[in-house]
Amino acid sequence: MKNRMTPRENLGRRIEQFHGVSLEQVLGEIAYLRDAGDSVIAGGSLAYGLGNRLSDLDLLITGTATVESSRIPMQHFIDSLRVDVWKLSRALVEECFERAEQALGGEGAVEGSFGDIDHEDELKLLHRIAFGVVVDGGGLEDIGGRDYRAVASSLVVREYAERMRTSALLAQLAYRSGRSIAAVANARLAIESALNAVVVHRGLPFSGDKWLRDRLVNQTPDLASVYEPFRQLPENPARDASAFVDAALATCVEMWGMDLEIDALVSAANWRNTDLKLGEVGADRLLLSARFGALWGLDENEAAAWGRFAAGGAESPDAMWSLEECCEDGMPLCLRLHELGVLSLHWDKGVPIEGLHPMRTRGAPA
Amino acid sequence: MRPIDVDARRYAWCRSRALWIIGMPARIHLEDAHGALEAGQDGLLRFVARRIGDACAVSLNLAVNYERPIPPYAMRSSWALERLQGHELWQPCWELIRGIDDASNEEIVERCESLIRRVCAIVGEIPNILTPEGHYPAIAMARDWSKLLDAVGEEAPLPYNWTLPT
Repeated sequence: MKNRMTPRENLGRRIEQFHGVSLEQVLGEIAYLRDAGDSVIAGGSLAYGLGNRLSDLDLLITGTATVESSRIPMQHFIDSLRVDVWKLSRALVEECFERAEQALGGEGAVEGSFGDIDHEDELKLLHRIAFGVVVDGGGLEDIGGRDYRAVASSLVVREYAERMRTSALLAQLAYRSGRSIAAVANARLAIESALNAVVVHRGLPFSGDKWLRDRLVNQTPDLASVYEPFRQLPENPARDASAFVDAALATCVEMWGMDLEIDALVSAANWRNTDLKLGEVGADRLLLSARFGALWGLDENEAAAWGRFAAGGAESPDAMWSLEECCEDGMPLCLRLHELGVLSLHWDKGVPIEGLHPMRTRGAPA
Repeated sequence: MRPIDVDARRYAWCRSRALWIIGMPARIHLEDAHGALEAGQDGLLRFVARRIGDACAVSLNLAVNYERPIPPYAMRSSWALERLQGHELWQPCWELIRGIDDASNEEIVERCESLIRRVCAIVGEIPNILTPEGHYPAIAMARDWSKLLDAVGEEAPLPYNWTLPT
């Protein structure tokens, strides 16, 4: 029998079941935060039919007359239900979508600017607005014909395609440098990024990385078997990294049609220095980060490799150099410094949506 | 008097972050693990178990080896595991990071709880920010760390407007 409840009724039934709390009680608790004419929109796992008894309820208060916006959620407890409330003026919401549109239209990499692996805040916010359940008020009427869902989805696809590219590069560099755990971990991240992008590309709201596997099983079952060989890292990464990385990257290519060969990737990527400088003390060659109060001893080859980067200007503030400039002994050093958090990775360009060619899998919507 | 056997800046930076990682992200993941166990959400449970392994390895590495800075997420677990070689908690951290497929949901939660408990015994305890009774004490503790970090000229792990009046 089909579930004929509205999304709001569904959400209300779930929090009533889990906590014995009604949506009206929730609205009463947060009434002090509301301004005239604003709407309350629920997003997050509970609103999207995921979540469980311990999930918090994410609410957004927004409207044209909303004042005192806050990007930090205000936490409320109603019996056992935890409610996180974001309050944003409509102008801020529109500004967020405008930035997303600009990022999508621009050449530069999105690179976590709307939320990285640790903080997915703005990506989630855009999806709460575009896909959320209106709990009270009129919701968001379109302004200027903006397709909120298309913008929110495209941004996630682009962000995750870029993450897939970064992980694919790191997996290959790490494998070549003998860093087998980093190689297999990044190969799995590449697959997960590719799958997250496919799920959102199919029109489902973004709900963060943690729901991926359950979503594959319940909402996109044709993709569950794609993920299966990569869910667990090899028991012996030193022995099995090569096969694992190759298989993962081949699957990513199949999913998105993007060239992930290392030669294609290194030509578009750069290392950026934080504040590393080479120092010489007697016969010792020391790499210093004054900012982090950290010092590393280099062997002769490493010191020579760093010396070449420094001669090219690598020790200037925020200096960047192409991965192509790293010769055989320079690349492992740069990767190690990236692994230490003192060299960051940057791309010349983002991954334009038009350049992606999503596969059509069994059971996928046309 | 008990000496702190490391430079004050490094101690404050590493310890505050180690505590915060085990006190907040790890606890949020553990709460997710309990919710997933109850609801039979196998995928969520296995994902957060991995994140608990990551968080524990990083927190432990900060507290034991005083390593800084913390690398980007994609390199964090390999960074922490390499430096924890030989530590008794290396294996349980690696097993969770690797991903567990062949254990029951109950056993996975038990392994997560056990690892967090053992890491907390080394890193220290922080009130549970996810509960009504622990929320403000945790913020107060973060404020204390912010003051110490300010005193030694280091940045706090949390946004200042979370913990200090503006």
